[in-house]
Amino acid sequence: MTASPVPPPPTGPDPDRPDPLVEPGPHNPTDDRRHEVTERPHPLTPFIRGWVVLLAVIVAFGRDYLPIGRDPQPLPPLEVIFSAVGVVALASGIAGYFSWRFTRFVIDAEVLRIDSGVVFRRSQRVGFDKVQSIDVVQPLAARLFGLAELQIDVGSHDRPRLRYLTRTRAYALRDYLLARAKGVQAEAADHVESTSVLVDLGAQDEVLVRVAAQVLLLAAVTSHEFWVILATGVVAAVVGIAFNLPWLMLVIAIPTASTLVGFVGRRVTSQFNYTLSQRAHGLRISRGLTSLTSQSLPPRRVQAVQISQSPLWRWLGLYRIDLEVIGWGQVTDNEEKTGVSTILLPAGTLDQVRVALRAIWPRADFEAVQLHRAPARARWLHPLAQPFLRWGHDDSLVVSRHGWLVRRWQVVPHARIQSVRVAQGIASRSLTLANLEFHTAGGQIAPHAAGLDAAHVLQRQEELLRLVHHPAPVDLTEPPTSAELSESQTAIGGGDSDNSASGVRDQAGPDARRADQADDTISSSE
Amino acid sequence: MSDLFTPTADWQRLPSAYATVRRLGALVSNLIATAIVAVAAQFFLEWPWVIGIVVAGLGWTLWRVIRAGRWVRSFGYAERAEDLLITHGLWNRQLTAIPYGRMLSVNVESGPIERAWGLAKLQLVTASVHSAGHIPGLPQAEAASLRDRLIAAGEAQALPL
Repeated sequence: MTASPVPPPPTGPDPDRPDPLVEPGPHNPTDDRRHEVTERPHPLTPFIRGWVVLLAVIVAFGRDYLPIGRDPQPLPPLEVIFSAVGVVALASGIAGYFSWRFTRFVIDAEVLRIDSGVVFRRSQRVGFDKVQSIDVVQPLAARLFGLAELQIDVGSHDRPRLRYLTRTRAYALRDYLLARAKGVQAEAADHVESTSVLVDLGAQDEVLVRVAAQVLLLAAVTSHEFWVILATGVVAAVVGIAFNLPWLMLVIAIPTASTLVGFVGRRVTSQFNYTLSQRAHGLRISRGLTSLTSQSLPPRRVQAVQISQSPLWRWLGLYRIDLEVIGWGQVTDNEEKTGVSTILLPAGTLDQVRVALRAIWPRADFEAVQLHRAPARARWLHPLAQPFLRWGHDDSLVVSRHGWLVRRWQVVPHARIQSVRVAQGIASRSLTLANLEFHTAGGQIAPHAAGLDAAHVLQRQEELLRLVHHPAPVDLTEPPTSAELSESQTAIGGGDSDNSASGVRDQAGPDARRADQADDTISSSE
Repeated sequence: MSDLFTPTADWQRLPSAYATVRRLGALVSNLIATAIVAVAAQFFLEWPWVIGIVVAGLGWTLWRVIRAGRWVRSFGYAERAEDLLITHGLWNRQLTAIPYGRMLSVNVESGPIERAWGLAKLQLVTASVHSAGHIPGLPQAEAASLRDRLIAAGEAQALPL
């Protein structure tokens, strides 16, 4: 509770809980604008940042002395080892101490400043109005010591990082910075929240979706990716049998099995304890077993949504939701990544899909959009998908459905469409069919509608183009107004969705908007 | 031309000089490609095959040279009140509509062959990589004035993301 610029002692017997660090809560920036909060990384930071290097060094040098394969080299005299270790330890200790000593995070009235570097000083400034969201990431090594890293999303791929802070401190600072980013000057009181090791949940948070590990496991084993890997292995094995090469079986079986195990393991561990929750300052996704990630989800930056369903999931009633979020980079397909992930729902039921989509777009109902079937002659071009093809739009959303093996639903708000294209290949023309493409920022989900009746497209064309310009005059990400709130309260629980509690938005409107309008510049830099 | 790809608007076509530029470009690039493939092939293949490759390359070149004029005639753009329409294509036809408010930047480029004919290419950039709006073969003065008009319209009608 003391705003102490004095760092905690560099070494301590209990690294988990060092000093009570600076609490930003008590000081009130409105009456004291000069007041700065200075924060230092946790003293263990250099060790955690360097442990990979340390491990590599040990492996590189230690390998020669281990009795693997060739005769091991004779061990050097003990004094040499000890002195070498001592020198290295001392040198890295000193380097670590100075890098720690010269790193500080300063929060003043306007900006967050990150000063670092001993020889080459580096001072990074992050304006609060540029902060899009803040993620808390806990890699395994940091997690063992109860530390966490703050990643500040300012819309660019290079994210300013504050590492490492104690977990509770990281969460508190995250909430504080987010509140500042939203232009809230007065500070929420209860910083000391119940933050457990496995989830990032405060008492006032409301859980919208939670995915159990069993569901993740089931979904991974029944996903099409799993079966593709398996099928590849089986085909190779069959080839091996056909050519009478039994050793080939082994060569194939081992990597296939390890790939499968790795795939399932990644799916389960990376999304372990997946929780989508609603807090005062927006939506939050927390997930992960070995490295816990807690990321904010800014609904206003969601460009397009894709719901997909592997073939076996049809019987299980499972769906997955991927998002295209501006400034988040690639749509995640490799779950190994510990940082930000574009998966909104790793696997869930239709009800969970509804809840998740309602959370990002409280005012949109993608199921209410009237869908049109593809004409029967589209079967010539899309023999397997034709019965499933649909598309439609209302005055806020475009929805399309396609795919035969993996079924996909793509949902784009008109307000996020960058351009619209009508395309017709030579085969489509002879069948008087046409395709529609909706170009969104980022453009990896690539929403499109295939096999449409050309006359129908022609009829809709003007309307579609008009809607890009003049979508329904509601912001999908805005929570419903108090009048609408009462009826939708049961559906989405809190009613206050999006970036801020409704009361906060009213007073902080311009500031909250300002953070969102940085999107313009973000998209241009992509 | 189908109404689907040319809705009623004030369509502008490209100057016929661009067809010449395109023919020349196709000729040069295809002949070079054919020559490279043929030279590489004669190390590995029998002579009849190499002759076949050369004939195929020349045929493809001829095809592109003949088609260039039709392709250029198929290209059209229209400035409407709120968006720019671009249509082109013979086999794969398409119509792209880019709202002025979505344009992040408008660039004018001009390669050596195009410059010799006094032409330039207009490139429209939106936040999406798929928009790929470009208008090739505009007279340079027209390209510059179109760029200025588009930028002005984009500023006037900027849409929030």
